[in-house]
Amino acid sequence: MNASYSERERLLLLLAACGELDESTRTALSRICAEGVSDADLEKICAAVIETDTNGVYKGNRAGLLRLADEVVARLERRNCFAVTLLSADYPAALAAIPDPPLVLFCAGRRELLGARKFCIVGSRLLPAWAAKAGKNIAQELGARFVIVTGIAEGGDRAAIDGALPAANLISVLPCGLDVDYPAAHAALKREIAGRGLVVTEYPFGTRAQKYSFHARNRILAGLSEGVLVLAAGEKSGTLITANAALSYGRDVFALPHNAGAAQGAGCNELIKQGAYLCTDAGDVLEAYGMPRTARREPALTPAEEKLLGALRQRGEAHAAVLAQLAGVPVWEAQATLAALELKGLIARSGGNQYAALK
Amino acid sequence: MIAKIVCYALQGLEGVPVEVETDVSRGIPAYEMVGLPDAAVKESRERVRSAIRNSGFSFPMGKITVNLAPADVKKEGAAFDLAVAVSLLKASEQLVGAAVQGIVFLGELALDGTVRPVTGLLPVLISAKANGYTRFVVPAGNAKEAAYLGGAQIYPVSTLAETVRFLLGAEAISPLAPETFVPRRHAEQSADLKYVKGQPVARRALEVAVAGGHNLLLMGPPGTGKTMLARCLPTVMPDLTFAEALEITKIHSVAGTLGEEGIVSERPFRTPHHTATTVAMCGGGTRAVHPGEISLAHGGVLFLDELPEYKRSALEALRQPLEDGKITVARAGGTIAFPARFMLCASMNPCPCGNYGSADKVCTCSPAEIRRYRRKISGPLLDRIDLQVEVDNVPYDALAADGEQEDSAAVRERVNVARAIQSVRFEGTSVRTNAEMGERELAQFCRLSAEGERILKDAFERMKLSARARARILKVARTIADLAACEEILPAHVYEAVSYRLGDSLE
Repeated sequence: MNASYSERERLLLLLAACGELDESTRTALSRICAEGVSDADLEKICAAVIETDTNGVYKGNRAGLLRLADEVVARLERRNCFAVTLLSADYPAALAAIPDPPLVLFCAGRRELLGARKFCIVGSRLLPAWAAKAGKNIAQELGARFVIVTGIAEGGDRAAIDGALPAANLISVLPCGLDVDYPAAHAALKREIAGRGLVVTEYPFGTRAQKYSFHARNRILAGLSEGVLVLAAGEKSGTLITANAALSYGRDVFALPHNAGAAQGAGCNELIKQGAYLCTDAGDVLEAYGMPRTARREPALTPAEEKLLGALRQRGEAHAAVLAQLAGVPVWEAQATLAALELKGLIARSGGNQYAALK
Repeated sequence: MIAKIVCYALQGLEGVPVEVETDVSRGIPAYEMVGLPDAAVKESRERVRSAIRNSGFSFPMGKITVNLAPADVKKEGAAFDLAVAVSLLKASEQLVGAAVQGIVFLGELALDGTVRPVTGLLPVLISAKANGYTRFVVPAGNAKEAAYLGGAQIYPVSTLAETVRFLLGAEAISPLAPETFVPRRHAEQSADLKYVKGQPVARRALEVAVAGGHNLLLMGPPGTGKTMLARCLPTVMPDLTFAEALEITKIHSVAGTLGEEGIVSERPFRTPHHTATTVAMCGGGTRAVHPGEISLAHGGVLFLDELPEYKRSALEALRQPLEDGKITVARAGGTIAFPARFMLCASMNPCPCGNYGSADKVCTCSPAEIRRYRRKISGPLLDRIDLQVEVDNVPYDALAADGEQEDSAAVRERVNVARAIQSVRFEGTSVRTNAEMGERELAQFCRLSAEGERILKDAFERMKLSARARARILKVARTIADLAACEEILPAHVYEAVSYRLGDSLE
């Protein structure tokens, strides 16, 4: 029944399922995993952890350990989940290359996504409407070439999910156990992602999200991906942790440019200043990886729409009344034209009857 | 001797004839009142006794039985006093030769014999006139209200003694001259669109909403003029017709909120506080059933300021009346249907702190807080609000050079034209505005071109609209076409109607 996990993998799994390992144990483990570990070593570490965990005395009972590991596997299978360990063949190579890779990834969904090329899209929870729309469009377009990696929060994560989920090319990395609903409002969304894409976490069942687990989760986001796009980030946004991790792992960082002075985009602009790729559409990412830009299917526009869109593009963001004045039409006619453009996905509302052009 | 006097009891908005039968016979002095009277009616004994004595008549000695027939109709209120007093006088032969046949007596008595005004007089008079009564004795205090009845002889009296002299022919009271109805507008009211600075988008939505009788939601940061805009609604609504005014007056008369004027001559604008209960909203009461805010707003505007602050139950109770235009209230005191065809106007902040989407202020709410705030308004209720617009938080002159602001009268003229088109369209049906259209009218008057259908289908899928929202978009598009005096609904009209629903995708 447990043919899919080797004995060593099961031991690793047992370790991961036992709860939090301290960092030194984890680094030691990942090092010996990388260097090739002897069963005896692994067993020893495993025993040490189990011992401290249960206060029991280890008597060299390998069979006992494996029995415990079987229970973990059975629990996973009961919930229709699986685990990928650092020793598995399909453990993502990019993730294994980071200094402290998770020993085990608990997953629910389509396993094959782990092997695909991955690109991460993140953004803070509060972001301007245009940035969310742009993020969604980019995720949708990149979804044809990459599997999109993101979290599961609102805002930037949500934009990426909305863009990538229809094509099912999506990996969501959780800061908690697979069975914990965080945020609670996204419980149904998580099930949908698990059904069509993949949900991944390093935490065993029942682990609640902690402040530091978001931090730790962000290293997985960056570690899994070839590059990271930041849709929006404040000056001290957690999103920047992902970007900084990506930098330290030698991955590419992309950022959406924001208005100078817009607090929600200060972090993005700072990244660009430091040398991140400036990204305004999916083509910028594709180009960076030497892929051809996908030909845009330009929707047909009426002359009135053309005129208004031109006026809006010139300003970037403008009030409906201003656009009406520029186009020389009454406000309600501009409203109708703007609604048409919005339905065609060319512009976004940014609140207070303001509209922003999308690329 | 037995005396019979006609009076009227109020059941909801209808009057029911009640015969006051009084029998004075020899025996140990006693006073018995039968026929389902409530406490206020039973207490009439003391008022009537004092009033008769203090008016210079004698209260009959003997066994007195007062029967209010039919016995199975509940009677409440003090409007029976005058009828009881007259019937007592008649039964005790103090009104010999007086012609009381065919006269309806209504009024409450004070201890000194003064006749006090009563609530719900006009609905009673209308019912009584429909039943064939043409002569009424009413309190002088109700004269203004009664004068709008027309086609009847209505005698206002101020005291019981005056009533008796009139009945005996000793004093002539000239019947009320029928009043002609003049719709009124509060000129002194400060609400007028010309005082609203900027807000071009909200202004337009306001105009469309009034033109078609649609519901309106104004969303915007605090202090941007949502309430001000809402207060302008009655100023752009078409004048009341006499029939409408009578219908509205009936409700207000029953509720006892009729002012000095005696008739409601302008469209009601009701602003219940957000602590209002479901009963206060919809009507009810322990025994007597009173109209609620939605009925008092009949023919006018129900304005709910800060919509998410209202009790959920009170808001959800609005759903059925919003569709049907009436509310049926069932209580121990009876089941009454009140009309409730009102225009709902609601306002809300975009988030708890109010700055979400603001250009210059930072919103401090978490997405979960915003969602929780918005979720206080259920989808089904939001579905019924056809126009959802954002109110600008930037002064308009910062956006564009503005000229003279249009005043309410100019907007009202356009609204009247659009309404005229609608009244021709719906002639001979019970439908009055586009918002009231049913499925049949929708299929008949809101046909779309192929392109219009495609736009609507696109929006329907993209915005995950409900079937109801789709129908409501169609109705708004119809109104927009009417404002443009356009026979056909053009794609631009559909787009504009859709633009007022984009709040749906806010979630």
